[in-house]
Amino acid sequence: MPEMTYLEAIRQALWDEMKRDERVFLIGEDIGRYGGAFGLTHGMLDEFGPERVRETPISEPTIVGAALGAALVGMRPVAEMMFMDFTLLTLDQLGNQAAKVRFMFGGKATAPMVIRMPGGSGTGAAAQHSQSLESLLMHIPGLKVVNPSTPYDAKGLMLSSIRDPNPVCFIEHKLLYKTKGEVPEGDYTVPIGVSEVKRQGRDLTIVANNVMVVRTLKVAEKLAGEGIEVEVIDPRTMRPMDTETIIESVCKTGRLLVIHEACQTGGWAGEVIAAITGSRAFDYLDAPARRLAGKDIPIPYNRALERAAVPQEEDIEREIRAIASGQY
Amino acid sequence: MPVPFIMPKFDMDQEKATIISWEKHEGDTVRMDETVLTVETDKVSMEVPCPADGVLAGIKYQNGDTVPVTTVIAYVLKPGETVADLPRDKIPASAPKPEVAPPPLAEVSAAAVASVAATPVAVRMAKEEGVDLAKVQASGNRITREDVEHYLVEKVKPAGRVAVAATPAARRVARERDIPLEAVAGSGPRGRVQAADVAAFQSPHQPIFVSGDARPADVVPLIGIRQRIAERMQSSFQELPHIALTIEVDVTELEAARRRLNELAMKQSHGKVSMTALLVKITAWALKRNPYVNSSLVGDQIHLWRDVNIGIATALDEGLIVPVIRQANEKSIRQIVDALDNLTSRARDGKLTLADVQQGTFTISNLGMFGIRQFRAIINPPESAILAVGTMIRKPVVINERDEVAVRPSMTLTLSADHRVIDGVVAARFLNDLMLAIETPETLLY
Amino acid sequence: MQEAKSKKIEPRTTKGDYIARARRLNLSDEQLVEFFSTMCTIRQFELMADKLYAMGKVHGTMHLSAGQEAVAVGTFRAVRVDDYVLNHHRGHGHFIAKGADINRMMAEFLGKDTGYCRGRGGSMHIADVEANNLGANGIVGGGIPQSVGVGLALQMKKLDQICVVLFGDGAANEGVFHESLNMAALWSLPVLFICENNKYGMSMDVEHATAKLPIAQRAEAYGMPWAYVDGNDVLEVYETMIEATRHVRSGRGPVLVEAVTYRYFGHSKSDRNLYRTKDEIEDWKKHRDPILRFKGHLLHAGIFDEAKAAEIDAEALNVIEKAVEFAEASPEPDLSTLTEFVYA
Repeated sequence: MPEMTYLEAIRQALWDEMKRDERVFLIGEDIGRYGGAFGLTHGMLDEFGPERVRETPISEPTIVGAALGAALVGMRPVAEMMFMDFTLLTLDQLGNQAAKVRFMFGGKATAPMVIRMPGGSGTGAAAQHSQSLESLLMHIPGLKVVNPSTPYDAKGLMLSSIRDPNPVCFIEHKLLYKTKGEVPEGDYTVPIGVSEVKRQGRDLTIVANNVMVVRTLKVAEKLAGEGIEVEVIDPRTMRPMDTETIIESVCKTGRLLVIHEACQTGGWAGEVIAAITGSRAFDYLDAPARRLAGKDIPIPYNRALERAAVPQEEDIEREIRAIASGQY
Repeated sequence: MPVPFIMPKFDMDQEKATIISWEKHEGDTVRMDETVLTVETDKVSMEVPCPADGVLAGIKYQNGDTVPVTTVIAYVLKPGETVADLPRDKIPASAPKPEVAPPPLAEVSAAAVASVAATPVAVRMAKEEGVDLAKVQASGNRITREDVEHYLVEKVKPAGRVAVAATPAARRVARERDIPLEAVAGSGPRGRVQAADVAAFQSPHQPIFVSGDARPADVVPLIGIRQRIAERMQSSFQELPHIALTIEVDVTELEAARRRLNELAMKQSHGKVSMTALLVKITAWALKRNPYVNSSLVGDQIHLWRDVNIGIATALDEGLIVPVIRQANEKSIRQIVDALDNLTSRARDGKLTLADVQQGTFTISNLGMFGIRQFRAIINPPESAILAVGTMIRKPVVINERDEVAVRPSMTLTLSADHRVIDGVVAARFLNDLMLAIETPETLLY
Repeated sequence: MQEAKSKKIEPRTTKGDYIARARRLNLSDEQLVEFFSTMCTIRQFELMADKLYAMGKVHGTMHLSAGQEAVAVGTFRAVRVDDYVLNHHRGHGHFIAKGADINRMMAEFLGKDTGYCRGRGGSMHIADVEANNLGANGIVGGGIPQSVGVGLALQMKKLDQICVVLFGDGAANEGVFHESLNMAALWSLPVLFICENNKYGMSMDVEHATAKLPIAQRAEAYGMPWAYVDGNDVLEVYETMIEATRHVRSGRGPVLVEAVTYRYFGHSKSDRNLYRTKDEIEDWKKHRDPILRFKGHLLHAGIFDEAKAAEIDAEALNVIEKAVEFAEASPEPDLSTLTEFVYA
């Protein structure tokens, strides 16, 4: 199986799907000759032409609104927010329009559209280019929220997202773009709403998303040497979330830790913990369900400050040890 | 108003009792202090006396039911009262319907208030605390101050919730296996009970081999005394750091003394002096000399007991029971022999009272009669030590400094001690005192 | 029609006899009577809506378009049935003019399961997606960006339909208005932007909200043709829209039309008209009412008489009353379907 980066995997999904389905087109800022801010759409303008690699003025609300309009009349647009932060500019079109159009019109309208949004900190991009806003998007009924952590999942989920008849927020993490992994050639999908146990373990269930999956897996390998066996679950899809897999896992391990980079307050960890304590898994909890999340601050610029703002491997290790020893 | 008949509380740490049998039945005429039923606590079985003269009615619990203490289990109707007078919500479903329609509700409550029998102190206290006396359960014929206090305590207690720090998983396992969480020692942060603690608590009772078609020959429920023993031994062995020291003693002189004492007893037509009786006497003497061995650890305090109350582990069909010889240090050998005979026979007849098994400060377990050479016993909390006595055998021993060997009767004594209270040296000193008194009985006269 | 971009579209027939203008536009007597009849239906719908509200039969609020009927009829008789439409709060008239089923509209208005949106949308969110009516928007200007997307899709699919988006003077000050005009003009999208300037946002006078009038002239900033018309003259609206749609459909890009009109009712039901005088409202009703004006022309030309006009209006009321009967007899949505339609 060929190895490729997370970024290449997403590009391949877009490429293949545009070849397969002429309704699919890209719309966004600087996605043509420039290839997008991260080079993800590099080469696609030459292949598909300016009509299907539709470069826009800097008008985020209308990019999303136009994607919605096109979707309503049968197209399959993939819009790009250059940074996830800019999604906040588009909340009317995303939250009031795309998310509600089907419901508001009694199930008559469908809006099959994807909004790609690179999020996350770690690149020194500071407060307005580093956010993790998945919790905010998850809160809006009508939106699906997807965030893959591996190249394999990225390609498979992108294909699922484009083919999904609903608005899908496709969250990419900037630090993952260069990570490599095996990605099958050709067509395959990773279903939306199915989480994956990335690592089996008996002592503690950790639920983490995007880059936190990578960090947690590293720590888990290290601690396995000491006899602490951590089970790592990547929800992959934040909404709809496959809580059943998490419930199953907690019934096995009796312990739960949720890790996300997004700010703690109102973060989705609370949602997972509520799902667990409200389910049959409650009776299997043998320790308080815990969360490890980004600090409740905007992402700072300074390298050390930025690092300290979100969970790092050492934080994850410390938290696991604390849970293992009851020191919390 | 009918007199409520409550499940009495016999012991400080007793919370419930199981009804073994009702001696009287619904509608029987009963007299005050007459035995109405027999119940079993985790320590003993008890006969429960009637609280009043009258007719037994409204029996709410049957044989085999386990009932929390102070729960109303029946009523005694006074002359002129019928089942219609029983508090209405308390009539068991099986009870016959009252033949006379109850008077209108308003009249009932007025009458009830007027007829509530209460001591003046209880009335004043109820007034001060804003308590409706009609809601207070009388433990006797009249509502007392204690009854009002009890009512106040019960009222603030959250219903059905045991305030034990335990994880949800621990609670589930406890629920599934019917283990009282409060009996489980927690190993989690701040003593929280973890699932593993509950599982371990239960594990001794799990069958060791479970194969597809394996079935136990018989299944004996873990109830009553057996359950209590299980819990006490489990928690003692888990919570008390046991150390065990063994000494071998030459019993030639003690045996000789016993023979002489028995000759004396025969002349006076008294019962025979057993080795156990002699050991009680000697142990009492040694305990007086080693107060830490006669102690209890209570919280962060070590209570060194003034009295030496020696329990004798006694095997019954239902399980182990430990009748206590009180103030053994104050008793003569003769008195000890009589006390032992009395306790043993009553234990075999199931007639022990609660007082017979309470307040022990030390226990002797003697398996000598079964040929056991040497064993370690588990401490009987809240005591701090227990003496395990092995069988007497005749064996060659070196008897002097010239290494001459002779055959002598000898036995082993093993002291299990709670190391939190008793250091090895203290235990050793106690065993040495025992050896001294056994090998040179006149030491006790010294 | 001027070829040069960013030029005001001047209707060429503004002078002369009114009915002669209609003839030049190839409108038959029957068509003219139908214009009148549809305006009456819209008016009766709005009056009935107000009455139903007073009777406590309407759950939420509503935004009535009485007084603006000429814009609706003039526009939707100029566009094709298969053209797409997006609009905003005050949309009842647009849908009726586009040919919506009055029964289903009224049922939606009363929140019934037989309504266009099965009671999920209400007055503010009526849509008939199957008839290319992409729905009314409750967010001021919220539908404007979507018209860009619809136009984009039509262009990519090389279809000759256009997208008509109607919004108010208030929406013209939303950022997306400018973004969308820019983008549509940039890509020459088949979008007809229609600003119904009814003088007020909620309460704010358009002159206090807009730095430079007319609003339509903003099209010049985006190199788009524009028109500024009397929105209470159905024939002028029709004529302008014929010109505008011809331009848009020809692939030469979007057009912005501003139609000046007036709403008789308050912004919504909670409006007590504190920002305008009774005299002002009465003056519009008496002298500039689109239905009375058009009726006058038809009477003058002898196309119908008063009796026929009254009969037509009575028939319009009859249609509306039947719709109320239908709606009231319709079932409520089943509670068990509450969570349906969130996801496809």
